[in-house]
Amino acid sequence: MSRWLAGRAYLRLAAGLFVVLLAVNIALNPVRFAPTSLGVTIGLASGLVLAAIASMPPILAGRGGIDISVGPLMGLVNVVVVRWLVEGLGIESPFLIVPLVLLLGLLSGALNGLLATVLRIQPIVATLGTSLFYAGITLTIVPSPAGTVPGWIKALAGPTSILPLAAVALLWLLIKRLPFYEQLLCVGSDDRAAYTAGIPVTLVRFLAYVLAGLIAAVGGLCLTGLIGSADPNIAGTYTLLAISAVALGGVSLAGGRGGLVAAVLGAADIFLLQTALTFFNVSTFVLQIVYGTVLTVAVVLNADRLRQLLRGRRHT
Amino acid sequence: MTDGQAILAAQGIRLAPGASPIDFAIRPGEIVGLAGLEGHGQDMFIQALCGLHRPEAGEIRLQGKDGHTVQVTEFAKAAAQGLAYLPRDRRTTGVLGGLSVFDNFAIAALPDHQRFGIVDRPRLREKLAHFTRELGMVYRSPHASIGTLSGGNQQKVLLARWLAREPRVMLMNDPTRGVDLGTRMKLYEVFRRLAADQGIPLVILSSEIEEILQLCHRVLVFREARLFAELDRDAMTMDRVIAAMFGQEAA
Amino acid sequence: MSAALARIPRPVAALLLALAIHLIGMALIRGFGTMFGIRAMLVLATLLAIAAIGQTLVIIIGGIDLSIPFVIGFANVTAAQLYGDGVPFAVVLPLVLAVAMAIGAFNGMVSASLAIHPLIVTLGTGTALQGAVQLWTAGFPTGAAPSYVTSFVSIGGSIGPIPVPWLIPAFLVLAAVVILALGRTVYGRRLYALGSNPRAARLALVDPVRTWTITFALSAGFAALTGVLLLGFSGAAYARVGEPYLFQTIAAVVIGGTTLIGGRGGYLGTIAGALCLIELTTVLVGLGLRPPLVQATLGVTIVALVAIYGREAHVRELI
Repeated sequence: MSRWLAGRAYLRLAAGLFVVLLAVNIALNPVRFAPTSLGVTIGLASGLVLAAIASMPPILAGRGGIDISVGPLMGLVNVVVVRWLVEGLGIESPFLIVPLVLLLGLLSGALNGLLATVLRIQPIVATLGTSLFYAGITLTIVPSPAGTVPGWIKALAGPTSILPLAAVALLWLLIKRLPFYEQLLCVGSDDRAAYTAGIPVTLVRFLAYVLAGLIAAVGGLCLTGLIGSADPNIAGTYTLLAISAVALGGVSLAGGRGGLVAAVLGAADIFLLQTALTFFNVSTFVLQIVYGTVLTVAVVLNADRLRQLLRGRRHT
Repeated sequence: MTDGQAILAAQGIRLAPGASPIDFAIRPGEIVGLAGLEGHGQDMFIQALCGLHRPEAGEIRLQGKDGHTVQVTEFAKAAAQGLAYLPRDRRTTGVLGGLSVFDNFAIAALPDHQRFGIVDRPRLREKLAHFTRELGMVYRSPHASIGTLSGGNQQKVLLARWLAREPRVMLMNDPTRGVDLGTRMKLYEVFRRLAADQGIPLVILSSEIEEILQLCHRVLVFREARLFAELDRDAMTMDRVIAAMFGQEAA
Repeated sequence: MSAALARIPRPVAALLLALAIHLIGMALIRGFGTMFGIRAMLVLATLLAIAAIGQTLVIIIGGIDLSIPFVIGFANVTAAQLYGDGVPFAVVLPLVLAVAMAIGAFNGMVSASLAIHPLIVTLGTGTALQGAVQLWTAGFPTGAAPSYVTSFVSIGGSIGPIPVPWLIPAFLVLAAVVILALGRTVYGRRLYALGSNPRAARLALVDPVRTWTITFALSAGFAALTGVLLLGFSGAAYARVGEPYLFQTIAAVVIGGTTLIGGRGGYLGTIAGALCLIELTTVLVGLGLRPPLVQATLGVTIVALVAIYGREAHVRELI
């Protein structure tokens, strides 16, 4: 374990914060963090965790790669499932809804990938465009919160909340065994070298966006379980939260460095921070202040350059 | 030649822990070559000389513009005292891609060519025209993108960027790398003139021994982060330099 | 077609586009080309263009500023609250600008000296700032702008016989200053050098930390100015008044041809981009689209525009 961490020094801060925050939370609210209510607690966090994991691949792919549309896509999934599938078509079976949700995620990811890698529109602009598109569509489908969801979706925020997370973790472990993962990290740290070495840079980056879309869609389903209805206003905030989580996890937005654990730890930190603060019944404004400050301080403390400056080393 | 005349002097420089210290001094009009197999310390040494790399130990002194001696600790401060450094990799550390020939030329000289923050463009244009003739640069117009120039002409623009600051000493990191033969000969001529006519001492790191033999008055050969041999003009032969690079005592 | 388009200078292309949208609007929407409509669009585009000055500078240098909407909200609420509490406006304005610029300077300094992506830093400080403002006013800010600020930006305002508020000529002067500063000053040229190649710029004696600090301070300063002007425009303070400006400033900059990779573009393009955005929004609203659909259409349009003329180089061309 310690050897594994040694190779991932960037995780230390997020891991330390996680331990401290978890201890604080357990001390403050032993009931919520008791093993019996673990399902509900994970259900509260899973949307954010999945959004953070979804943000990971495009960032890993480097050269400004980022997917801003993660949150809006989750919102779109939410209203499509509730309004179109459940209410419109009367579909309630997970064996139809889950594949359709995944398909929506794949298509959306492919769209982002197409724009950002094949058409080579700067990723922030491309995914900003799709964000606006999804957010607009979402609000058009469901202008205000409405609808109900089948029991199994609700359960995703309760007893079975570990399922989607486990599925995504499994997917990630599988991907790590593929040459694709190595190629992704190569492209992220030096795309020119990767290209010269014969790695299909464009394809690898494209797949990173597809993966983001897929995982975000799963996150959208979890969020649907949590809200229990269609709400066009909730998911939008998840993009910035997800990117913050990834940054808190020590991932460099420059690409080439990061992983599942970083995203999960970062997201868990934000979640635990929120729950600890809400326990004190502080206003959302205080929450905002603390959260913005923690984010800033964390990235400062995590900066490689800070360590170099403290050690007095310089470089060109 | 006494030490007092040295424009740039290094004392007790250690490039790696445990490596033997290096003393070095360069005087007006001198051209000194740095050689060694890739990664054997010559690159660290030239960067240490201009304040871009902090050596394990030792100090570097520069005779500044006003005659005072200053310690070289930071590149920007050393440059303000008349030190110039032409970096190695033209594309990643030299050229400002997408910007014009004029912008690429003017950038380092801006502080001396401005009034209330506004760039003195007429004077800079004159200077660019001057160096265009001096160095035989070829380009369509000063507004042309630097990317439209040949590698050799780009290198000349980068050289002119530093000459415009009227340096007191120039350090060059493989200045003719990836440059065609004609331009290379032109650059040699320019280097010799800078040293002989203007008395600007030059430190030239080169990966081509032939170049060092042609240009330099003496050469420092690096091996495993230490100064392995110092050969002056009489002792400088292809065989000896190569032997030193591979760590063999001169025969 | 796209090759021919690519040869037109970006600011000109954006301006032509704004004109084309305007003509389409006149053809499709009754009353679109009225004097009042045009004045409204000019004022809105000007406010956006002022907010986007900073985003332009920051994007040229190779960064991005997500704190602009938060700083706008901060200035909007703080100015109203302080002025409402009886602090003279001559004190309020410099104070608000100074605090904003200090926050911006912090953003730039931290991002550049520690090599942290400015997206994260500006997001963090912006969020904290907004929380602080909301906490201070308990979510319900009071106060208003002095009447002369209101008439300065009023759509119905006029300068003698000329039917535009003072905002417009003042902005033209400001725009000229920004464009000249980018093209002719040491600061401006260093901005482009850093955006083009940070390592090379540093070796050519451009101090990155200093330049980033100044640039992000300016960005926050112009955002704060926008916040105060918006207070005059809308009459009442609102902490989230800046929210649309996050996406709109980036979009205006990008439509205007300044690319996010840094080192390219200019402010003239941003002005044209701001005009485009406001024209397009007005036409879409005029056509009877509901706000969410306007948003969706804008998203598609921006992507389409950038696909035509703002594409990045393929990795093989970077070798």
